Amino acid sequence: MTVTAPNTRAARWPAVRPWLGTVARLGLAAVWLVAGGAKVGDLAASGRAVNAYQVMPYGAATVVGAALPFVELALGVLLLIGLATRLAAAVSAALLVVFITGIASAWSRGLAIDCGCFGSGGQLGVGQAPSYLPEILRDLGFLALAGFLLTWPRTPVSVDGWLAGEPPLEDEDE
Amino acid sequence: MSSGKDRRDAARVVREQIAREKRRRRALWTSVAAVVVLVIAGLIGWTVFRSQKSDTFTAPPGANPPGTGIVLGEGPVTIDLYEDYLCPVCKQFQQTSGPTVNQLVSDGKAKVVFHPVAFLNRFSTTEYSTRSSAASGCAAQGGKFREFSDALFARQPAEGSAGLSNDELIDIGAGVGLNRDDFGSCVKDGTYKPWTEHVTDDASKAGVTGTPTVKVNGKDVEDRSPEGITAAVAAAGK
Repeated sequence: MTVTAPNTRAARWPAVRPWLGTVARLGLAAVWLVAGGAKVGDLAASGRAVNAYQVMPYGAATVVGAALPFVELALGVLLLIGLATRLAAAVSAALLVVFITGIASAWSRGLAIDCGCFGSGGQLGVGQAPSYLPEILRDLGFLALAGFLLTWPRTPVSVDGWLAGEPPLEDEDE
Repeated sequence: MSSGKDRRDAARVVREQIAREKRRRRALWTSVAAVVVLVIAGLIGWTVFRSQKSDTFTAPPGANPPGTGIVLGEGPVTIDLYEDYLCPVCKQFQQTSGPTVNQLVSDGKAKVVFHPVAFLNRFSTTEYSTRSSAASGCAAQGGKFREFSDALFARQPAEGSAGLSNDELIDIGAGVGLNRDDFGSCVKDGTYKPWTEHVTDDASKAGVTGTPTVKVNGKDVEDRSPEGITAAVAAAGK
């Protein structure tokens, strides 16, 4: 009896994995929708939050700050409905790597800023300590979700699956 | 005998190849569509942002030549103060170091350029930072900038609240001796809102990312205590 435990677990993996993918997809969708939604109401502030990283000229920071919330919302919608999941996961992963690099570089340069990940952002007030490590760990968690979807993009209840008109195959050649 | 089976196998291989090719093409086109969606989303953001920006502004009387702040006094050393009327640390700063700054101005040692930036619009439900800053422009027009500014810090609303209403701002203005009709219509029309935007943009360009920021002759002052500011002004005046 006890010998079969690992075997059944291994046997369950193919059945469980697609649904784990759905959970990862919806989780990452929620991250982008919340992140974009928090910033979309004040695009000028979003630009200032980008500018606070001091990695690009002010004019470029305002462009990035204005475009980013809408791109995040669009990514959230793509993941929510499961359209072009692998591409959305790849773009998500790329963005997260940029964010993590930005936070790490702000940390290493000794800047005292809020990451601006979910709104707010900019320099911190007196007595407020930056929380770079938790921010990086959180983003690494999101990156893991994106990585899962990048590896196994086909998930149940998705437009991708509906377009393909077939259950996910074991030997996908995408 | 086996040729029939071969033909069937060959047909199956061809069918599979066609199906695979179809899948590949579909995956390609969904990817292209998704990229287009993302690019359009970014362009929408940029367009919305551009449409929100005002191209022209009128600085209120009493502003410095670039129109980025209100000048108080005429001493040789310049103290730049970047503050948001909603920022609690700014209120603290005004309470502890405000009298020292005023003393330096009245002694003729320094002049103040006060930049009422609107960094914290997200922390009120009614864009209080922009409204209060624009109202301070109206107060400058009426010649009561400093009095109105002090009164705003004294009555500072909590972060996350709706802030003071325009009517309350007008009452405060009338309380410090501004003409209720002129000041009132200026606040209600948001006459100086484009100016507030200009002040805020310029502060960001100057590398100001938080409030309060204090500069003496263009150099950041870390120690914002009365002693720190006195020392910085003394050093700059030499």
